[in-house]
Amino acid sequence: MAVLEVSDLRVYFRTAKGPSKAVDGVSFAIHEGDYLGLVGESGCGKSTIAKAILGILPPNGEIAGGSIRFGGRLLNTLSDRELNEIRWKEISLVPQSAMHSFDPVYRIEQQLIEAYAAHRRASSRTMQARAAELFQMVGLDPARLKDYPHQFSGGMRQRAMIAMALVLDPVLIIADEPTTGLDVIVQDQILVRLKEIHERLRKTMLLITHDLAVVSENCNRIAVMYAGKLMEYGDRVVFRQPQHPYTLGLVNAFPSIGEEMRELISIPGAPPDLIAPPPGCRFHERCPFATEQCSAEEPVLREVGPGHVSACHHLDRIEEFRVAARDAATWAGA
Amino acid sequence: MGGLRRYILRRLVTLVFVVLCLLTIMFALFKLLPGDPTAIFVDNNFSLEMIDRTRHAWGLDAPWYVQYGRYMLNMLSFDFGTSFFQVAPVKGIVAEKLANTCAMMLPALFLSVILGTVIGAVAGWKRGSAFESGTIITFLFLRSAPSFFVGIMMLMVFSYQLHWLPSGGMVSPGSAGAFWDMVLSLDFLKHLILPTLVVFSREVTGPALLLRSSMLEVKGSDFLDVLRAKGLPPAAIIVHATRNALLPLVTYVAVTTGFIFQGQVVLEIIFAWPGVGRELVTALNDLDYPVAQAAFYLMALTILFLNFIADVLYGLVDPRITYH
Amino acid sequence: MAAQALSVRAVRATIRRRTSLLRLTLASLRVIGKDPLGAVGLVLVVMFVAMALAAPLIAPFGPFDVVYHADKSVVRLSVPTLTNWLGTTNQGMDVYSQLLWGSRVALTVGILSAIGSVVIGTLVGLFSGYYGGWLDEVLMRITDVAFGIPFLPFALIVISITTPSLTVVILLVIFFLWRTTARVIRSQVLSLRERPFVWAARAAGTHEVKILFYHIAPNVLPLSFLYMAIGVSAGVFLEAALSFLGFGDPHVVSWGSMLNGAFNAGAMRNAWWWVLPPGLCLSLLVTSSFMITRAYEEMINPRLRDI
Repeated sequence: MAVLEVSDLRVYFRTAKGPSKAVDGVSFAIHEGDYLGLVGESGCGKSTIAKAILGILPPNGEIAGGSIRFGGRLLNTLSDRELNEIRWKEISLVPQSAMHSFDPVYRIEQQLIEAYAAHRRASSRTMQARAAELFQMVGLDPARLKDYPHQFSGGMRQRAMIAMALVLDPVLIIADEPTTGLDVIVQDQILVRLKEIHERLRKTMLLITHDLAVVSENCNRIAVMYAGKLMEYGDRVVFRQPQHPYTLGLVNAFPSIGEEMRELISIPGAPPDLIAPPPGCRFHERCPFATEQCSAEEPVLREVGPGHVSACHHLDRIEEFRVAARDAATWAGA
Repeated sequence: MGGLRRYILRRLVTLVFVVLCLLTIMFALFKLLPGDPTAIFVDNNFSLEMIDRTRHAWGLDAPWYVQYGRYMLNMLSFDFGTSFFQVAPVKGIVAEKLANTCAMMLPALFLSVILGTVIGAVAGWKRGSAFESGTIITFLFLRSAPSFFVGIMMLMVFSYQLHWLPSGGMVSPGSAGAFWDMVLSLDFLKHLILPTLVVFSREVTGPALLLRSSMLEVKGSDFLDVLRAKGLPPAAIIVHATRNALLPLVTYVAVTTGFIFQGQVVLEIIFAWPGVGRELVTALNDLDYPVAQAAFYLMALTILFLNFIADVLYGLVDPRITYH
Repeated sequence: MAAQALSVRAVRATIRRRTSLLRLTLASLRVIGKDPLGAVGLVLVVMFVAMALAAPLIAPFGPFDVVYHADKSVVRLSVPTLTNWLGTTNQGMDVYSQLLWGSRVALTVGILSAIGSVVIGTLVGLFSGYYGGWLDEVLMRITDVAFGIPFLPFALIVISITTPSLTVVILLVIFFLWRTTARVIRSQVLSLRERPFVWAARAAGTHEVKILFYHIAPNVLPLSFLYMAIGVSAGVFLEAALSFLGFGDPHVVSWGSMLNGAFNAGAMRNAWWWVLPPGLCLSLLVTSSFMITRAYEEMINPRLRDI
């Protein structure tokens, strides 16, 4: 059963130069027990999706079309007050910047309890016990609940954030680039915690990241985004047998995903301007295999395997692409 | 809490250090006086012996370090001696003037801080509205108008042209009495309006502009997104935002109070307000140095003390300050 | 490798950023001129500068000249006429001429005290922030003491002890203004000191003094400029306040001393032409430098600009 179903979601930001189409017709579903990894370069709209789901887009952003269905309710049609019933209680967030996600002038415990108290009535002793239990679960000393955020290291803050995300035992946890700004070892610890929560508590999770390795190690479903559009979407086979030139490029650019040691090849160029995106396939300007059709006609997602879709006009030539993509010269020529 | 205590202690040590330096500077300054202080009230036909006696009575024949020690002790124990002119203990004179200054300044300050905060918070929260831009432009102009010119203009209009309000003093001539009787009278209120307006027109701008920008800064912070995601009602989120935005205001108010305190001199002259600043000017014109010294010392102390309070308050409201 | 490449790039960027004072000035003026309020401020300031420069040429009377009627009687408290465009004072002096002469005093004090205070403040901030240690400790304690001295009362006492003169006023204003600049520049230097381009310069064996003046100082110059602009209006204002209280230089006419004369003569009751011109000029000059400061601040402080 789909816990969350996003269909044809469009999120536009008003800018001085016209609307920026940060998310432009994205559809995917997260089923119960799924751990979906949403990957893409920075600025491709993946964090915007998280904000749209929770209804916390900045004032200049708005959902311009499509729907977000969660447990039978259309989140995009709910009022702020109605959304407050769902926020945190059913969908919680592990946000991007561990350093700045707590209010600096309140103690950590107050902030955990505040999330609890906003949705459920309980004695303060119950709530404190809950906070302590969760602190232990994420490997923090409950005595430090009385600390202020600045007394925690980045990694500790993010673990406290994970504890806070669990405080109401939500259905879905969205982790939006949860390891930004943390050092590598701490990043690993945070990801291990998140995986534990997925496995032990059977939580449905959405992990948003630019790190393919993280997704391939943790997630059972993978969605690849580029410039506001979904390029490819499927299970772990997406990285083992990519069916889209962009995914091929991404996999090439990352170590440790492929089975053998190979040269790292990066995709030249930069993502397009989202205020005036190029016609046709959004990736065609950087794609070494692009044809005239790619710059004229927008590809749709087509099924390439069970539960595996890809948006490329030339799916029939993908095997040929896969071989060519391993050659650095292919990308250099684009 | 250890951090906070250490922080306060350090500020306290700095405070004492600055006071001692200030007194030393004052001692040096008054030593530089042309001639010596006796010269101004020693008549030419005094005999040398009489001059010596006076010098002795004032302790001016002692070596400088004895004088310095005595001076420091006197000042630190608020013993300012006797006024040259008013033949009364300086302490009493200056204390009364200090109270008068506070009576003029505090109401205006309260009004400015409260209204300024509210206006600034609303302007910051309603970013981009006509209210916001209107407030900013008006306040920038108000802020840069020199207060003594504003004061003179107000006198010209409300007092001399329209005859609505008295032109100066704390109360009408002849009705001066005990401090609280005076301050609680309607007559005092009438005298207070113009100075209050002048101080308010300038001082309301500080908290307003400050709170607007700190509100804007807080509005951009990541933790607000998390608070929204937590499903908190809007009122609770505004409380979080305001609590963060108020942090810089705490220091600002204390520091500004000190600053207005010294700027009072000019307004007290314009409105003939018998405050400590006016007393300082009168004393300097009369060469009544004990009074001048005491007035200056008390003004400086008030400012230093307020700055100290500002630091302590900041340490209390912002847990981050004492951490490092 | 990457870090090294980064710092080399940072060093190059700094070198590119390092511009001559003149270019910085021109660039700043351009930016200020783009802001509507800043442009108004610039025009006003240019007008005041022109007024001060041209005062000896266009002022019909000297600052202390007494105007006489044909019958040799003094023209006292005359309303504005064709000879005395802004009327006369109670001593028969021409208000319009005094106003022109007064602009010279205002600008002299404003500019000299701004330059003096910014030079001192910037140097103190640079050394204090960069070298740290006992030097920082000593300089910052001196700054603490300076912050503990209430300006106006202190200035009144110093002036009453010495002989009042424009030099004393300027020195006092400098003494009052340098402390803020010092603190602000110091905290800026503290953060610049940790930037990659400074490590890179140090790793390349650059002399400490050279790092301070070639790599760090150019980066705090915009901030110094800002405090210079603030200093001008503060200087003008403080001189006016002192003169208004009768503690200015008695040998020159300033807007503050004009107001002092008008106030003491009770001119607010009847002689508006004596009160308004100096007061308005003062307000306009302070306001215009405030507008410039504001525009400049928005440019160098991205925090203000972005939000």
